[in-house]
Amino acid sequence: MSSNKYFKHEGPWSDANDPLMVSDTGDWRTKRPIVDKEKCIFCGFCAMYCPIQVMEMVEASHFTPDLDFCKGCGICAKECPKNAISMEPEGDF
Amino acid sequence: MAAKKGKLTKVLDHLKHEDPFSKGVAFCPGCGLELLLRFIPQVMGNDIVITGTPSCSAPVLLGQNNQSWHKLSYFGTLMTGAAANATGLARYYRKAGIDNTVVCFNGDGTAADIGFGNLSGAAERNEPFIYICYDNEGYMNTGIQKSGTTPFGATTTTTPKGSVHKGKNLRRMNLALKMAMHKIPYAATATLSDLDDLAKKLLKAKEAKERGFAFLHVFAPCTTGWGYAPENTIEVCRRAVKTNYFPLWEAVDGKIRMTKTVKKPKPVKTYTELIKKFAHLTEEDHQILQDDIDYEFCILGGLSVLEGECQLPVSAQD
Amino acid sequence: MVTKTKAETKKGSQIKVITGNAAAAIAAKLACPDVVAAYPITPQTEIIEQISKFHANGEMDCELITVEGENSAMNAVMAASLAGGRVFTATSSWGLVFMYDAVLATSGARAPVVMVNVNRETPGIIAVSSGQQDMICTRDAGWIFLIAEDCQEVLDLVLQAYRLAEDYDIQVPVMVHYDGFYLSYLSEGVDVPFQEDVDKFLSVLEDQPKRTVLTPGNGMGCGSHGILGGYMELRHKHVTALERSKAKFDQIDKEYEDIFGRAYGGQLEEYRMDDADVVLVGSGSMCGTIKTVIDEKRQAGIKVGLLKMRMFRPFPGEAIVKALKGKKAIGVVDRSLNFGHKGGPFYTEIKAFETQLDGSPMISFIDGIANTDITTVNVAAMIDTICALAAGKEVREVTWVSYPEANEPEVNKSGGK
Repeated sequence: MSSNKYFKHEGPWSDANDPLMVSDTGDWRTKRPIVDKEKCIFCGFCAMYCPIQVMEMVEASHFTPDLDFCKGCGICAKECPKNAISMEPEGDF
Repeated sequence: MAAKKGKLTKVLDHLKHEDPFSKGVAFCPGCGLELLLRFIPQVMGNDIVITGTPSCSAPVLLGQNNQSWHKLSYFGTLMTGAAANATGLARYYRKAGIDNTVVCFNGDGTAADIGFGNLSGAAERNEPFIYICYDNEGYMNTGIQKSGTTPFGATTTTTPKGSVHKGKNLRRMNLALKMAMHKIPYAATATLSDLDDLAKKLLKAKEAKERGFAFLHVFAPCTTGWGYAPENTIEVCRRAVKTNYFPLWEAVDGKIRMTKTVKKPKPVKTYTELIKKFAHLTEEDHQILQDDIDYEFCILGGLSVLEGECQLPVSAQD
Repeated sequence: MVTKTKAETKKGSQIKVITGNAAAAIAAKLACPDVVAAYPITPQTEIIEQISKFHANGEMDCELITVEGENSAMNAVMAASLAGGRVFTATSSWGLVFMYDAVLATSGARAPVVMVNVNRETPGIIAVSSGQQDMICTRDAGWIFLIAEDCQEVLDLVLQAYRLAEDYDIQVPVMVHYDGFYLSYLSEGVDVPFQEDVDKFLSVLEDQPKRTVLTPGNGMGCGSHGILGGYMELRHKHVTALERSKAKFDQIDKEYEDIFGRAYGGQLEEYRMDDADVVLVGSGSMCGTIKTVIDEKRQAGIKVGLLKMRMFRPFPGEAIVKALKGKKAIGVVDRSLNFGHKGGPFYTEIKAFETQLDGSPMISFIDGIANTDITTVNVAAMIDTICALAAGKEVREVTWVSYPEANEPEVNKSGGK
């Protein structure tokens, strides 16, 4: 008798109504984006270009990365028109 | 003294739907594909049905056993028949009266190489779905091999730099232009530096699929496979546009129009200098690459000009 | 030949003189598929021409996809099936091979596709001729394989295939095979049922639980990776569904008889088997000829019977053992080759049950490949050989009936014996 331990259906169906899988991509990071709230003009370029879409709005003031998932690619820092984001080595934290 | 707060980029206005993807997924840091994949449903809606094949997208688009990395309905299958799968879905939904937006999402290996026949077939039959090719110019998931869209000179693991041969000694295929020549309702190019343009094109494609086939060719660089710093993904896209290496245009029913005009195109070298796969290119090689870019741009320019001016001979009218 | 137990011709149905291909097309029309995708190839082409005509005349309300190749035909119907549709496609030979990756994906995804394959010789020798080599090339694809003997059975099997494929307990694609050139272009009287009867026969499926389908926004995905235990679980589900399909096919055959008055016996059709001493095992169009020769041999006092294989995948091993047990000698006719084995594919597979058959001697006949006719003379010779085997005489294990050169002693390349 076949079980339904790994698949709930006859065929290779996954079901997104169950909790999604998630990897600890924050662990991959070697550099951490640090946002200078003073310099930030709240243009949203960092949020727009972030491949993981983890730049979160803090009120209508500035953006801050979700460090649980940020992979530290540095695109936000590179694309910030005001150089308000710097990439700092993780070892420093 | 805090900086004066500016206006939020209007691109964010296009993101009307939630990001259906899990936050932690296994794309490389700086991956262009990840940005594109998260962007599409935020613009088009979470009720799209996405099809995916073995590729860099597969580990995320397709689940593992009963679990998924995202909330979209998806169909994961073979590279050989991707457009035919999407055809089957869209046709059944039409027959059953089910509202649908089927997005056939493939890399350049599927679109330009192994699956080109059925892509062209679906376009010829004007099938009612959207085909998106994310072009990273090679087979990145299998370890960076040459594809039909790999440009002249680029090194891959099947066009390595050796003592005799140095990189790909063939020109790239212009997939988007080929698709526009099918005279489908909508064909367009887009890239990640111009997200407003991309968002508009996604929405136009969604509208156009009510009339038939829509094709989007999205230039999506690969930091790992091409050898550039991860933070440069957007900059690589930007320079590709500014050098006419990857011009942005759209074709509605075969009528071509530039969506971004580059007034003074930069030499291709300003693009290649960011990328290691071109590091060995000599001046002469660069000239070949430049000639190829100019050639393609001339065709494109010619076609878009013709659109306004070309009149059928009197004998061919009605 | 059919055992007509309930009614010779059911009241209200109509006899039409049509080809096997037309019978397949009409059966497809009667099943009312949502999506049909197909590509022309000899000797299947007439099927899609007929369906296109039905579609053009509004007799068939389906989405007809005139694809650019067989690979796309299978990919399109697989996806449409997984989205919830009833689908149909047809192919042959090189076309079947060209769609092979999608054929595997279809069964792996458990899409209840119904396909007709008009048997024809297959790569790598170009041959526009009949033979079951295409079927053998794809036998490990995880599909259910059914084989028709005549044009009537083509029609009946296509309808039965939908009941089998789409049954909630099965959900496995079904391929209906019949001999190209012999049945594809042969016209004979076919009892074409009325739509309402077909609807009644297929309506059983509507009362079953709904299978999982891909719907926009429902968060389901098909084509998830099978990881370790997950892979094994799916494979196990698949093989157990195939096992279940044997009894289910027998049951569907009986229900078919209740409505249409025709029954064939399910997995196997037995012809004059009850008191037979020796048996010929065959499949497809050759069986008509074999039955004729058996009748003649019976008049001469030779107790010979035919075991006709209607189901080839899953392999009906238990039913075969039951039918062949106690027989004095068995000959198996193959219309294809089993590369790497001397005997034909059916022969090799039945041979695997030798111990359960109490060691009944068994021999292999290769015939009918490349459009050579399996004539009454050939069949009579086969039966004579089986009788000689039963009498304890030494006979060849494998005989190429229409190619005697194959039956000469081996001579090695250097010229010596």
